[in-house]
Amino acid sequence: MAHQVFAVDAEEIPDRGRTIVRRLDPRARILAACGFAVAVVALKSFAPLLLALAGGLVLMRLADMEPLPTLKRVAMMDGFIVFMLVLLPFTTPGETVLTVAGFPATREGFVLAAQIALKANAIVLAAMALVGTMEPVTLGHALYRLKVPENLVHLMLFTVRYIDVIHQEYQRMRLAMRARGFRPANTRHTYTSFGYLIGMMLVRALERSERILAAMKCRGFSGRLEVLDTLRYHRRDAAFAVVAALFAGALLFMEFADVAAF
Amino acid sequence: MSPLFDLTGIRFGYPGRPAVLNGVDLRLDAGERLCLTGFNGAGKSTLLHIMVGLLKPDAGEVVAFGSPRRAEAEFREVRRRAGLVFQDPDDQLFCPTVAEDVAFGPLNLGKSRAEAAEIVDRVLESLNLTAFRNRITHKLSGGEKRLVTLAAVLAMEPEALLLDEPTNALDERTTERLVEILCGLPQAMVIVSHDPHFRAKVVTRTVRLEHGRLAAPDGGPEHDCCRVAAQ
Amino acid sequence: MHIVDGALSTEVVIAGGVLAAGGIALGLKRLPVEKIPAAGVLSATFFVASLVHVPVGPSSVHLIMNGLAGLILGWAAFPALFIGLLLQAVFFGFGGITVLGVNTFNIAFPAVLAYYATRRGCANPNPKVAAAWAAFGGAFAIAATTACVAVALAVSGEQFVPAAKLVFVTHIPIMAIEAAISAAVVFLAARVKPELLRSEV
Repeated sequence: MAHQVFAVDAEEIPDRGRTIVRRLDPRARILAACGFAVAVVALKSFAPLLLALAGGLVLMRLADMEPLPTLKRVAMMDGFIVFMLVLLPFTTPGETVLTVAGFPATREGFVLAAQIALKANAIVLAAMALVGTMEPVTLGHALYRLKVPENLVHLMLFTVRYIDVIHQEYQRMRLAMRARGFRPANTRHTYTSFGYLIGMMLVRALERSERILAAMKCRGFSGRLEVLDTLRYHRRDAAFAVVAALFAGALLFMEFADVAAF
Repeated sequence: MSPLFDLTGIRFGYPGRPAVLNGVDLRLDAGERLCLTGFNGAGKSTLLHIMVGLLKPDAGEVVAFGSPRRAEAEFREVRRRAGLVFQDPDDQLFCPTVAEDVAFGPLNLGKSRAEAAEIVDRVLESLNLTAFRNRITHKLSGGEKRLVTLAAVLAMEPEALLLDEPTNALDERTTERLVEILCGLPQAMVIVSHDPHFRAKVVTRTVRLEHGRLAAPDGGPEHDCCRVAAQ
Repeated sequence: MHIVDGALSTEVVIAGGVLAAGGIALGLKRLPVEKIPAAGVLSATFFVASLVHVPVGPSSVHLIMNGLAGLILGWAAFPALFIGLLLQAVFFGFGGITVLGVNTFNIAFPAVLAYYATRRGCANPNPKVAAAWAAFGGAFAIAATTACVAVALAVSGEQFVPAAKLVFVTHIPIMAIEAAISAAVVFLAARVKPELLRSEV
């Protein structure tokens, strides 16, 4: 029942026990993920795109993520976009290479669909490996140090602090509904019950936040929140930055110097 | 007569933690009010959840109302016939008003709105809660919430009741009222409770969950009552 | 409803980023520090609600509830929904990184529109009237989000237009479901805790 929403490792794991990616400074990881994403969306040729996807897979291994569940997650994302990708060959103008039930599919369409799929998968893999393996709290601290507005960081820290609490509350309520014979179906009763469930969660959330604020005031809160962290750049972060920049540079060089266009 | 519940060799562990239940045998006969005691975290709530199939045991067999139960579909009938009252009433009460919450179970069983309304009136009447019919569940006191959760489960007309710490955080008066209600009900019950006074008044048999197994408490049930009387 | 990296044109990605940043800034400006706990816990609740699957025909969909988020959070829905999308992108792999701005705008802008459209109606003392406005807000927000997604795709390229149309059509049942669930939420809140609908956090 104590299923966690964020399946990340606990802070307590000592540095030495972690793989390379997890020992890097969180800020370096965030910046690298963003830089990688920007470089990859600029690509069009298949050689650098495939190299980018390979890069994403290597990062997944370096971050010590379980390959099967990770790839399942990525496949789920692909499931959401698959209908768009399937349509593209039929809606993109160009040279017809195939006809399905009277509809012509073009080479340009297949190319575009493949490009989008490669970009989306490469970036999601890299983002999950570099950033998704952090504690959400660490992500908040790192964003603060990267000059993200303080209040946005506090809002995020409160959000991640209570997601698991509320998720467990939700699971207990769903269990109690099941114990009284509730089974979701396409009925008005189902939608009303879900609405009541979410409504009650919101009511209880608001009241919980009132108690939180009261408790904060009891401890002298006067409208000022602090972010405390212990982030420090190390030499390995500089090395990582160089490697990441070289990799992104190589991708862009392949693209724009037309080294391997086909 | 066959027992309402007959559990044998139940083993269960939450992922990544040592087993909570390690070979539990439990039998509940008609008319019994069985008390389940044990330390916090001994697995009492877990056992109740296994009885109605909300958790699946790693090993062992659940026989309920004369049939072995394994699949989810088989447990749906069990949940109708054995009403589980949760430890925290707030987990159970999620509808805006008492009437709607009590009607939730009957509607899940396929009753029409009119039939459900009739059941609501009858159940509230029987528990002397008619005045609460249109009250907002969220604004009830802890004791009132407890009585309403009991009404909500009784509305499904169960043959057995599984109560998880029903006197938790209740004042003496509400506890008295709950004792009266429970003793007046025909259903067999499994009650998880830490309250010795409450146990002495309600239960007919006590078992203790320890080290993942059930044992009669030292000296058996009579002893339990005597100790209370002596206090 | 999330757009992924690589599908949109650079102009659309940049425009989305700028608009989302503006919305987030406005939302934060209207969020004093004392209201951050309430906004944070409610934002966590909406995050959990977005993990809920409800049946639609033989399949199931997960909820978005952006109309309701707008109604309850006001402009703070912008930063709150951005946080939700950021967490989903990096921890669950839904959505993308460069498109975070576009996705935030597509979901949060309709939320704010729904806030202005329904906040008075949902404060009506009659819970049934309030629920009717919430149903409208819930359906409207999904329709507007779908329209934003469609526009973002269509502006990025002619070839996306059929996909954009398909997105809109397939979301019609979802509009109905979000309307029904939003109505029940507000019907409950209006009776249980009307402050939820009147406080703008």
